[in-house]
Amino acid sequence: MIASAKLFWRLMMRPLVREPVRMGLTVLAIALGVAVVLAIDLAGNAATGSFHSSLETLTGNYNLEVTATGGVPEQIVGQLSTLPLNLSISPRMEDFAIVAETRKSVVLFGLDLIGEANLVPGQSGDSSLQNSGSQEDVFKNFSADNSIWAGGSLGWKKDQKVSLIIGDRENTFTVRGVYDDQNQPAVLMDFAEAQRAFARTGKVDRILIRTPKRENAEISAKQIAALLPSGIEVRSAGTSTEENRKMLAAFRWNLKLLSYIALIVGAFLIYNTISVSVVRRRAEIGIARALGANRADILLAFTCEAAVLGLVGAAIGIPLGRIMAGGAVKLMGSTVNALYVSSRPGPIELGISSVLTAFVVGMGVAVVAAFAPAQEASQIPPIEAMARGRKEFLVRVHKTRDLLIGLFLAAASWLAAKAAPVNGKPLFGYVAALLIIVAGTLAIPAAVSSVMRISGAALRKSGVAALLASRSLVGSLRRTSVLVGALATAVAMMVSVGIMVGSFRTTVIQWMEGEVPADFYLRPAGNPSLEKHPTISPELADKLAALPGVEAVDRLRAYMANYEGIPTTVAAADFHGSHKRGRSDFFSGRTGEEVFQELRGGNSVIVSEPFTYKHNVKVGDTISLRLGTSLASFRIADVYYDYGSERGFILMDRSAIKKYLPDDAPSNLAVYAANGADLRQVHEQIERATAGYRVLIFSNADLRREAVKIFDKTFAITYALEAVAVLVAVMGVAGALLALVIDRKRELGLLRFAGATSAQIRRMILAEAALLGLFANAAGLLLGFALSLVLVFVINKQSFGWTIRFHWPVAILSAAISLIFAATVLAGFYPARVAVRLNPIEVVHEE
Amino acid sequence: MVWLRNVVKNYSADGQLVRALDGVSLEVAPGEFVAVVGRSGCGKSTLLNLAGAMDFPTSGEVLLDRTSTNSRDDSTLTKLRREKVGFVFQSFQLINTLSVVENVELPILLAGASNARAIALDRIASVELAGLEHRMPHQLSGGQMQRVAIARALVNKPKILLADEPTGNLDTTTGSIILGLLKRLTREQNTATLMATHSAEAAAIADTIVELRDGKITGVKRK
Repeated sequence: MIASAKLFWRLMMRPLVREPVRMGLTVLAIALGVAVVLAIDLAGNAATGSFHSSLETLTGNYNLEVTATGGVPEQIVGQLSTLPLNLSISPRMEDFAIVAETRKSVVLFGLDLIGEANLVPGQSGDSSLQNSGSQEDVFKNFSADNSIWAGGSLGWKKDQKVSLIIGDRENTFTVRGVYDDQNQPAVLMDFAEAQRAFARTGKVDRILIRTPKRENAEISAKQIAALLPSGIEVRSAGTSTEENRKMLAAFRWNLKLLSYIALIVGAFLIYNTISVSVVRRRAEIGIARALGANRADILLAFTCEAAVLGLVGAAIGIPLGRIMAGGAVKLMGSTVNALYVSSRPGPIELGISSVLTAFVVGMGVAVVAAFAPAQEASQIPPIEAMARGRKEFLVRVHKTRDLLIGLFLAAASWLAAKAAPVNGKPLFGYVAALLIIVAGTLAIPAAVSSVMRISGAALRKSGVAALLASRSLVGSLRRTSVLVGALATAVAMMVSVGIMVGSFRTTVIQWMEGEVPADFYLRPAGNPSLEKHPTISPELADKLAALPGVEAVDRLRAYMANYEGIPTTVAAADFHGSHKRGRSDFFSGRTGEEVFQELRGGNSVIVSEPFTYKHNVKVGDTISLRLGTSLASFRIADVYYDYGSERGFILMDRSAIKKYLPDDAPSNLAVYAANGADLRQVHEQIERATAGYRVLIFSNADLRREAVKIFDKTFAITYALEAVAVLVAVMGVAGALLALVIDRKRELGLLRFAGATSAQIRRMILAEAALLGLFANAAGLLLGFALSLVLVFVINKQSFGWTIRFHWPVAILSAAISLIFAATVLAGFYPARVAVRLNPIEVVHEE
Repeated sequence: MVWLRNVVKNYSADGQLVRALDGVSLEVAPGEFVAVVGRSGCGKSTLLNLAGAMDFPTSGEVLLDRTSTNSRDDSTLTKLRREKVGFVFQSFQLINTLSVVENVELPILLAGASNARAIALDRIASVELAGLEHRMPHQLSGGQMQRVAIARALVNKPKILLADEPTGNLDTTTGSIILGLLKRLTREQNTATLMATHSAEAAAIADTIVELRDGKITGVKRK
């Protein structure tokens, strides 16, 4: 064992250590790949708050919950407490408020503060609700208006006055006590106070239940449900967490796979490094075999070499990944909050399992990538290995065979892209994407060889540097192909995601032109989280409608709901009225007026495209919705495109929903100015009319700008991942060019003897870098286009349900590709410097 | 054409000073074939490197076609080398990714001159390799590769040809042919040829044999 270790160090490791720059670049490439994978994993867990919605804090040990769209009527609380089931019951009001001073949002709970005192520990460990003074003081505080208890991490003090914006109202509250919130800040108030503050008097957002025997919770749930109206749902506590988890799954899954691209690029580089290692040590391999080493020893030696590189890379990648996770959490967190669920990021936890996974991933990828060249090394006959004059160009590159395999895989990819999702995941889409990359990589040797052959005359005319550079690349075709493959993969990822995002962006912008027709939009200044829909006072809509210069005001009321275990939004709008409507794209091709006519009938709904995809429904199907205490059926009249969120949307006429949920307060208002009205004046009028209410007013342009800003922010993490993959690839180019320089030092020395200047040598190496960059960009562009089709029409569609119209973001792609080309050429500068500094006498003469 | 005047060349090897040439003076006239003989490590290659403007002397002077190489910058020396010097090596030193004609025309292309192909083809014919222009080095025998190397060395019509053990990797018969070729071309092109060899048989074809030992000239025999 020790002897093997000694041999391994002397024959395999020591030579590596003598090339610190090249080895450093390879190790760093693996480190970056591991770091990115780890960062996304850690950040994913933290950003989604361990899958807990902010509203899941303070749930205690309740095991069931009772919910209803639009809120549970409060008499149900009384009904439940009279059931002979020995239940512990806790009614809850849950929403968000904006702290007026800081404009930050905070979770707001309305609780039975006396009954739930045990849930709210004081900062000294006792219940802070009981720390307010004497018993008399406690009751006085509970019953005093505008009293709140604040989580310690908010930094508020007892008796402090705090202004909170809830819905469209701002009120000042007094902090009666501070509790230990365990870094999950929230504000508590008395239940009745909360009902008033949220303008939901008579309703309960959620009733938490604790059954006497937890193991019989399911039976209890059925018993309870049987006693309640059909619209009211009884389910396990934390179900919404599970629902959110499902919703977030596709988002996290896609990000996870994107994070692996950098590692795949790193794998190319390991393959290249080990291949170079094999070529350089052919003679040593022959000697070792002649002295008694068998094939397995050779295979093991090179595989272990790769494993060591992977190990060192992973060791560097782990702390790097932990650091990167900090940034990734912020990027992912904003996406989760914007598109899915309000969630306060949890701590980033780098546990043993994450560390072990990182090592396994880093070493695993390195060993897998190294296997083919290691296998080749083990097959070399000793005599052949020791023969002088054998050069890499004699290594057979099976261009035609690989091209045919590539074509076959491309066809397989096309078939895979046609397959349906598996459990809602586009698994075959991912397979298709991987097959495209492999197919493209296999076709590269044939492509490089053909292009060089065809452009031979042009390259000759470009000068001796270009000629020598092109011959050098063809002469080391396998190495060149792997390098081009690595960089092309990174470019392809960038191009495909760029096309997907660009197409998505254009689709959204074009969609908004039709679907955002009003001149102004109003919503409450309270946090418009996707889970909650705060409302505007009903009289405000009438006030605005009466303004001169205002032609009409549309009301939209939205409710949080769930359908088949997936969160969705049920909303109602005014479909009466003769004012202008936007162009609406319905799947049936009908005009908006035709569809709205059907909605006014009251038994029909229109649903968003993501809804149809998630629930596999279509026009003409009937869906049952829990609305208030009822279970109502509606026919799907049509389907519309909606890019507002991934949550499904069910839209009906206001008159239909008021049968079940008679609350008149709207969630949003859309204001249409009269023809010819001065929009600035109308805006001023609206501002005056809304003085005293806390509402946000958006002009049409503002809203679109805001939407695009949110859109761009959600893809920030994707851009970051692409940048890392490209960086890894460019580093690989630098390392590989350095290897090429070292392997060709004899040739470079000879050129100096033949009269080549330093500048000519430098130009030659840079020309090689430029040619590599050109090939990689061209291949990456083609592969990226193919990948983008899979991303847009398969992966995105199957993950989220959106139809995206294909669009080429020419300007962005051109800029990005130019940047990568420049970076590739820059990567050639250090190898060029090394080449220029070679002493020709040392490298050419044999004495 | 090549003058070395009292040339001393020192190297530093592992912290120790090594005197590779110690006061060497030598002159090679146009059309003259001079062989430098000596055992391995006597300084033959160092002598050739200085004569070929690949290196500077520590002291003394080296003149190539009346141009001193002392204290010249790299680009000047490169230009000098390109225009006036041709090298032939023991292990041929062809570029494996270039064909025969591309190897031969390399110095012309590096000089930026035109009509490289025609000149190269002419040179290939002069070393009796016509018809093999498009072969790759690995498709040639040792003797053929050395002929290509000679053609490349002479393609720019240099005034000086430096050959470092040109027959070291060849069998006796092929080696004789190569030596004969070198001698013929030296006469035809009036080149000053300096050949380093440790083989007495190889040295025998030269006009002048210079014996080198431990960096010093110990004998000069002229025919």
